[in-house]
Amino acid sequence: MVRAGSLEKGMAILIKGEPYVIVEREFVNPGKGSAFVRTKLKNPTSGQVLRETMKTQDQVEEIVVEDNDCQYLYADDENYHFMDLDTYEQFEVPVKTFEDYRYLVKEGETYTLVMWEHRPLDIKIPYKVVYVVTKAEDAVKGDTVTGATKIVEVETGLKVKVPIFIKEGEKILVNTETKEYVERVNS
Amino acid sequence: MDFQLARERGKIINSVRGFFIDREYLEVDTPVLSAALIPEAPIEVFETILRSDRLGSRSFYMVPSPEVHMKKLLAAGSGNIFQIGKSFRNLEQTGRQHNPEFTMLEWYTVEADYMQSAELTEELFGVLAKQAGRPELSPPFRRLSVQEAFMEFSGIDLEKTQSPRQLVEECERLGMLQVPTDSRMNWEDLYHRIFLTWVEPRLPADIPLLLYDYPRRIPCLARDIPGTPWKERWELYIDGIEIANCYSEETDPARVEDFFIRENAKKIASSAVVPDMDQEFLNIFHQGYPRSSGVALGIDRLVMALTGVKSIEGVIFFPISDIVGG
Repeated sequence: MVRAGSLEKGMAILIKGEPYVIVEREFVNPGKGSAFVRTKLKNPTSGQVLRETMKTQDQVEEIVVEDNDCQYLYADDENYHFMDLDTYEQFEVPVKTFEDYRYLVKEGETYTLVMWEHRPLDIKIPYKVVYVVTKAEDAVKGDTVTGATKIVEVETGLKVKVPIFIKEGEKILVNTETKEYVERVNS
Repeated sequence: MDFQLARERGKIINSVRGFFIDREYLEVDTPVLSAALIPEAPIEVFETILRSDRLGSRSFYMVPSPEVHMKKLLAAGSGNIFQIGKSFRNLEQTGRQHNPEFTMLEWYTVEADYMQSAELTEELFGVLAKQAGRPELSPPFRRLSVQEAFMEFSGIDLEKTQSPRQLVEECERLGMLQVPTDSRMNWEDLYHRIFLTWVEPRLPADIPLLLYDYPRRIPCLARDIPGTPWKERWELYIDGIEIANCYSEETDPARVEDFFIRENAKKIASSAVVPDMDQEFLNIFHQGYPRSSGVALGIDRLVMALTGVKSIEGVIFFPISDIVGG
C-alpha cells in the first residue's frame, strides 16, 4: 500500500481486482481543505477511464509492474502483435488497450511494455519520434493561398500538420504526446 | 521571472498599495515569526527555533497568513488596515500555483460584511484590469453560490445532503469512491472530493467568478447565516484558480473558542508540527471584536492572472521548485 500522494503517471493501482494505470495526476489544495490528488485512471483491458480525487494521505494498493522490451510486429483490426525479446514468444494485445498509440508505433521497432502478471498495461513511447512521410502533396510553386502548412501522412498512418516545404520520403520529428510536428530531420 | 515581468509585478503591487492608501486604509507590517498561531487543521506550517543563552530555545512558527496579527490590531482600534507581505505554507508540492513562500495581500474593513468586501474587490479589479489591458478581468464578477454550483455541475443538492451517509450515496451515484481507501468518511472530505472532481474543473472561467456562501460544515472563522447551513464566505476564482478568500468575520467568542479546540484536536491527530494556540488571539473576542470583513488574496496568483503567465514560477524570483523539483 502506498500513499495516494506518491502516485506518479505511469504507475498502476488495483481497484476491485482490476489494474488501472495513472494517466494524469495533479495535486490540489483547496482553501480550508486537506491536500488532495486529482487523477485520471485507465483500465487497459476495458478501456474504462475513471476520475478519482483522493486525499494525499489515502492508502492505495499499488501493483508492481515490470518493463519488458518487445518488438512490435504489426496490427490487424483487433490486436497488436508483439514479440517478447527475452523469450521470442509472440503475443497479442487488444487494440483498444492502447488505442491512443495506434498511429504512433512503427513496425519492427522495439518498445517497452509495462506488464503486470503477464498482462500489458501500458506502452512507453519516446516523447519525440522520427517518422518517414509516406503521403504528401508537393507544394505548388508560388502557392501561398492555402497558408504555410499542410497535412501529410507518415509510415504509421498518422496524419500530421507540417510546413509546406515537407516532401514525401522526408523524415520528420513528431511530439508523440501532442502529435505535433517538431522539425525536419536530415538523414 | 525575467526583469520585464518583474517590472509588471512591481506596477501591480504599487497600484494595489495606492488603491488602499487612497481609501485611507492603514498599511501595516506584522511579523512573519509568531510564537503561536490560529490552529488550522489542513495547513502545515514551518517551525523554527529562537535561541538565546538567557531564554534557552523556543519554537516559533512562520505565519500562514497575517490574520493572527491583523485581527489583534483591529481589536486594538486600528480601523481599516491592509498588508502586503510574505506568508508560508509547508506544502506537498510546488510549481504551477503553489510556492511554500508566497506574497499575500490581506485587508480588513470594519463595519462591513463579505458582500461589501466583494464590492471593494471589484473596484480594485476595475483599476488593475484597466492598467494591465485585460478588460475580461474587470467587474462585475459573475456570482454563483456553492449550492448553485453543486446543483449545476454535480447534480447534488447540498442543502438536502448534510449527513456523511447521504453524501456518500451521492458520490457513489456519480461513480466516485471506486478506489478503496481507508480515510474516514467525513462530510468535509467528501465535499472536497466532489468539489475538486466535478465542480471546480467546470466552473466558468471566462470572467472572474465569485463563489459564495460556503457550507457551515467546513470549519472557518466566518459568520454563520442564521437558519441556514451556510457561512458568509466567498472565494474569487480567475481562470479556474482560487485567488482570494473572504469572510464576514466571526465575532462570537464561544464560536471562535470552539473552532480553536476542534481544529487543534485535528491537528494533534494528523500534523507533524502543532503550533501553540494563540490565547491572546482568543482573548480579543472576549473583549469585544469589531464587526468586520477580511479578504486574503494571493499576489503571485494575481500577477499571473493579470500578465497571463500560467505558472507561479514565472512570477517570482528563485521559486522553490528550482531547488526541489516540481
